[in-house]
Amino acid sequence: MSAAAPAATDPVEPLDVDLVKRSQAGDTRAFDLLVTRYRSRIYAMTYHLIQNETEAWDLAQEAFIKAWRALPNFKLDAAFYTWLYRIAHNVTYDWLRKKKIQGDGEFDDERTEHRAMPGSRTAPQGFDAPDRAMKRQELGCRIQDAIARLSPDHRQAIVLREIEGLSYEEIAEMMKCSLGTVMSRLFYARKKLQEMLKDTYENPV
Amino acid sequence: MKTPSDENHDLIRWLDGEMTADERRTFEATLQNDPELAAEAESMRQLSESLKTHLPAEMPVPHADFFNSQIQVRIAQMDLDEAREREKAAASTASWFSWLRMPWLAGAAAAAAAFAIAGLVWTQNSSSGTSTIASTYTPNPAVHAQVFHSSDAQATVLMLDGLEPVPAEKKIVGFRVHRAESDAEVATTTLFDENGSIIAVVSKDAKGQPTLLQ
Repeated sequence: MSAAAPAATDPVEPLDVDLVKRSQAGDTRAFDLLVTRYRSRIYAMTYHLIQNETEAWDLAQEAFIKAWRALPNFKLDAAFYTWLYRIAHNVTYDWLRKKKIQGDGEFDDERTEHRAMPGSRTAPQGFDAPDRAMKRQELGCRIQDAIARLSPDHRQAIVLREIEGLSYEEIAEMMKCSLGTVMSRLFYARKKLQEMLKDTYENPV
Repeated sequence: MKTPSDENHDLIRWLDGEMTADERRTFEATLQNDPELAAEAESMRQLSESLKTHLPAEMPVPHADFFNSQIQVRIAQMDLDEAREREKAAASTASWFSWLRMPWLAGAAAAAAAFAIAGLVWTQNSSSGTSTIASTYTPNPAVHAQVFHSSDAQATVLMLDGLEPVPAEKKIVGFRVHRAESDAEVATTTLFDENGSIIAVVSKDAKGQPTLLQ
C-alpha cells in the first residue's frame, strides 16, 4: 500500500517489526505502543468512512482487537500498518454493509460534530491569520459534510484514493470489485462532490 | 470509438496518475483540443487537491488514553475467558477420562448401550505399542472389574464379576480413539478415530454417569 505509514525511524523508537514480534510473544505493552503509533491513522480512516465519532472510535478499537487476535498468523511478509489497515477496512466495510447506510443526505448531530481541525498533524504547518484559518475550517466542514452524503461505496473509493493514496488495483482488492467499477465509483463520487460543493467553489468563503 | 464511460475513466486515470506516459501524452493532446473536457479536468483536479488538504490522514483519537486502556482491558478479558474455557474443557475432559482415557477405548460401545456394563480405560505405551488398562468404570455398582495384564503374553484379560450373562451373539468390540473433543455447551464428548470419523458421542446422565448418545 503506497500510503503505509513508515515504521519508526527514530533510533530510540522501537521498530514495528520488533514490536510485532514482542506482541506475538504475548507482550501487551508492545502492542500498546503499536496502538499508540497507529491509532490516529486508523481512527481517521474509520471516521471518514463512517462519519460518526462514536462508531468510528468503536470500530477503530475493534480493528486493534482483531489485529491482536490475528497477530499469531501475521507472517511479517507485509508492513504492519498495511496489514492493520486491511483489518480496519474490513471491520468498517462489514459495519457499513450491515447498516446499509445510503447517501441520502441524512444528517445527525454525531455525524458532523467531529471536524478535522486545522491543527491536526497532517494539516499544513504554519501560522494562518485568524480569518484564513476560519475559512480553511469552513471549507473543511463543507467537504466533510459532502463526503458524509456520498453512498458508502463512493465514500470508500474516495477515502482510499484521496486520503490513503491507494492504487486502483489496491482499491479493487480492498473493495472486492473490478478495476472498471473502481474507476466508475471514483468518477461518479467526484461528480457528486463537485455538484455538492459547487457553491463553495463558485462563491469561495 | 470510445464510449462516455471510457472517456470518464480516461479523465480520472489521468487525474490519479494511473496512465502510462504514452496514454498521458495522448490524453493531454485531447485536452488541448477540447476546452469543455479541459475545464472538467481542471475542476476535478481542484476538487482532488481540496480533498487531500481537508481530509486528514490522521485524526486525534478522542480520549486516546482511554482508547488504549480499553483495548488492554479487552485483551486481558479475552485471555481470561479463554483460560476459563480451557479449564472448563479440561475439567470436562478429565471427568470423562476417569472413564475414557485416550488413545484406546475398549469396552464395547454396543454392549454398554445394551447392558450398561462397563466402560474401560486404556492407555497405550506408545514406545512399545502395547496397551494397558489404567482404570475401569462400571456403571452398575454390582459389577466388579478386574484387569490382568501380561507383557510376556502380550495379553490383557478383563474379568467382570457380577455381570449378567451376555448372549453369545453380542460382541464386545474395541475402538481406537485418536482424539476427543468436549463441547462444554451441550456437555458432550465426541470421540474420533484416526480418520476423523466419529466413534461415539458420550454425555452424562442426571447422576453424572456416562451415557452413550451415539
